[in-house]
Amino acid sequence: MIISRRQRVLASLTAPAYLWLALTIFLPLSAMLYFSFLTVAPVGGRESSFTLAHYRAFFTKEVYWYNAWRSFELAFYVTTFCVVLAYPAAYALTHYIKGRWREALFLLVVLPFWSNALVRTFSWTMVLRGDVGLLFTYPAIVIGLVHAYLPYAILTIYVSLEAIEQSLTEAARSLGASPLAAFLRVTLPLSLPGVFAGAILIFVPVTGSFMEPRILGGKNAMMLGPIIENQFTAVFNWPLGAALSFIMLAIMLLMLAAGAPFFARYLRQG
Amino acid sequence: MNSFCKAWLGLVLAFLYLPILVMMVMAFNQSALYEFPFTFDLVWFKALISNERLLQASLNSVWIALANTVIATTLGTLAALAFARYEFRGKTLLQLLLLPPITIPWLIIGTAMLIFFFWSGIGRGLHAILLGHVALSLPYVIVVVGAQLKNYGPQLEEAAATLGASPVEAFWRVSLPLIAPGIAAAAAFAFAVSFDQFVISYFLAPPGISTLPVEIYTSIRKGFTPEINAISTIILFVSMGLMLLVARNYRFGGNRK
Amino acid sequence: MTHSQWTRRHVLAGLATLPAVGLLGQTSRANAKEIKVLNWQGYGTDEKWALEMFEKNTGIKVTHDYFNSEQEMLTKLRTSPGTYDVVLMNNTFVMDAVKERLIDPVDSAKITHWNDLSPAMRDSERFVQDGKHYAVAWVWGVTSIAYSTEKITSKPDSLEALWDVANKGRVGWRDDALESVQFAALATGQDMNFPKDLDAVRNKLMGLKDQIKTFWSSEDEWNKYMAAGDYAISTYWSGSAARSKKAFKLPVEFVVPKEGAIGWFDGLTIAAGAPNPEGAAAFIDFMVSPQFYVPWDTNVGAPASANAAANAALPADALNRVVLGDAETVKRLHWMAPMSDQVRQSYQELWDEVKTSFTK
Repeated sequence: MIISRRQRVLASLTAPAYLWLALTIFLPLSAMLYFSFLTVAPVGGRESSFTLAHYRAFFTKEVYWYNAWRSFELAFYVTTFCVVLAYPAAYALTHYIKGRWREALFLLVVLPFWSNALVRTFSWTMVLRGDVGLLFTYPAIVIGLVHAYLPYAILTIYVSLEAIEQSLTEAARSLGASPLAAFLRVTLPLSLPGVFAGAILIFVPVTGSFMEPRILGGKNAMMLGPIIENQFTAVFNWPLGAALSFIMLAIMLLMLAAGAPFFARYLRQG
Repeated sequence: MNSFCKAWLGLVLAFLYLPILVMMVMAFNQSALYEFPFTFDLVWFKALISNERLLQASLNSVWIALANTVIATTLGTLAALAFARYEFRGKTLLQLLLLPPITIPWLIIGTAMLIFFFWSGIGRGLHAILLGHVALSLPYVIVVVGAQLKNYGPQLEEAAATLGASPVEAFWRVSLPLIAPGIAAAAAFAFAVSFDQFVISYFLAPPGISTLPVEIYTSIRKGFTPEINAISTIILFVSMGLMLLVARNYRFGGNRK
Repeated sequence: MTHSQWTRRHVLAGLATLPAVGLLGQTSRANAKEIKVLNWQGYGTDEKWALEMFEKNTGIKVTHDYFNSEQEMLTKLRTSPGTYDVVLMNNTFVMDAVKERLIDPVDSAKITHWNDLSPAMRDSERFVQDGKHYAVAWVWGVTSIAYSTEKITSKPDSLEALWDVANKGRVGWRDDALESVQFAALATGQDMNFPKDLDAVRNKLMGLKDQIKTFWSSEDEWNKYMAAGDYAISTYWSGSAARSKKAFKLPVEFVVPKEGAIGWFDGLTIAAGAPNPEGAAAFIDFMVSPQFYVPWDTNVGAPASANAAANAALPADALNRVVLGDAETVKRLHWMAPMSDQVRQSYQELWDEVKTSFTK
């Protein structure tokens, strides 16, 4: 078999990243996937046999599917708020702020990342307590998570807006398009890859979040994330915990697959 | 639009910094239980000086995060280039494979890594932590750099090639400067993912070695004190200083006029 | 081509640093002058003054690794054999660990305080198999209720105080399935370890919906919620209540209600294949000594010691003497029994259902 130059280039570009992922993520996770079909985790000399019971539990027991729904609902709210808050901010950064100021503000957006998530969440409890009266409510969870993930949206949208040639909008304007029309027909579609990238980077981890809901949401914190955690920390039920996570992963893949044609149309237009 | 967007940006920044200001203020408050009224005191900064464990852990965190940033950004950018510039069989599959590291809860990945690293002889240690962090950062880098590359077709590189540049030269001289903002953002993600990662580190750290987030999360049981706020405040200022220093020589926000 | 060579060399150089980082992670191998302890953070063995005292006496340096749940402790033992010397274990987990060969028996001759340990715990069937002791009884305590003396003026004497409408929206509760079932079983007059009527337990727990302010999961959170005025009354641990009062000056009192409360005891074990079993035994001996225990309880706040001589050496006003030293109180305690993974899992599901009902 002759390996073409093209294949060599492709392999050398992708192999380092994917070999790394294979060693540290895919091989270990394959073991977990295997465990999810067993009655008990086969460690410490336990006897186990094949079963689909953990996957069945998700569909037959309300406590699992209902809380999965709550997780996705929360991720939807958080993602929407993040994108809505981030877009005008990123637009201001790329279009109305120049030079040193832009750099300084860009750094200010990134900087919150440098502080610990737990400490930030705990600081929110102090802000939301008292007269604000939001602590231990559902909105508190949304606020905390939007805060944690907002920089992701600003960064990806910023990167995408920044790459759009100014000349394209100017061309649209010179052809008689109103500023709004130029924005809607040129800038917005071209910036969608950044919006989608940000949305994915937010939606996916928020679905599995457990720390912010627990600290800020009090009794409203029940989601699928904490249930999965407990299978590993509170009770020795790795198979159920693994099965629930793979179901969550499968749902996300389905959502991406369902959204793919829609994304593709938009991206082509751009 | 101009003033509306600027005001919006101001509000967004205020929102981002509200809890961080609270965090800093509490570093200077005397109460160990974060109680009011506020009493100014440097006691937590003084306590920090003798807390070798916390300082050593912070140092470990910084080194791992820096190494992680370099490795993940390099490997991730290469893969993103392959996705943006080539059509090939299995591409969609490879892209979908980026989801598990961010979807599957860290706790499960951490447990799985611990078992696999034990079984394969990789073991626990700073090397294992770095292996794990790079894996978690790669999807972010590939997605962010990929979003940027989408906006630049291969035309410029082709133009460079017709002018006699090798592909590598074309990348180095033409593409890289164009996607620099994306790479900078990706590097920021990679650094943040590693610097704040605790579950993986927690499983893979051997006794006696730890990172800052691990110290913070395990100290929850005993009680995290405003010492944590103090060190967070210091880190924030140091990194702000470092970034400003770097920004003098390199324009983070892209170099278009 | 120069660029390509440069980048390749650069990547190689980057990769070459990996083994070097790896070495950093595994500096000191088994060292006779060192032991590694696996415990909850802030649970006695890592008190700085104590480690200094121990190192001065024996020359042995102590390093720690921590766990956040018992399951994590077992996972770490399984996947890091030959790493740990001393491991803290709740009595209900010791026999499981023996079955998996995760721990080795302890030579009682090496524990100089052996005869001072209370025989009920020292020789408990939870610690002894085939005449061999696998854990050294260390401390014991009670999970019960603590209340704010500022918010509640008359001392509550029943678990019903947690369900009392007067405490609506100001009850603290630990987010833990097993403990929740145990408390609800006690409140509904059932055997805490083997409740027969689980529907009664579930309904009782669902009745907490409007009572609970928020869940706590660690001592630190408990203290902060109490200090912020979120809780008037809450489930809590005896040793932690002593610390809240002493170290954090919170106005709290710990009570064992008439229905009784949950009793537990912990042992110190030696990991199978421990690199330094001699040092491990010496450390355990120090941990059960009054020299360590009295300052721990007096200056920091601790659970009750399994060493009767150590308890007797406490000041007369110590919580461990006033509340737990009272024979009548101890009689009301229900001791936690080991349970199968299946029962644990069914409790977890029950508790998850209850918490789901709180969100509706």
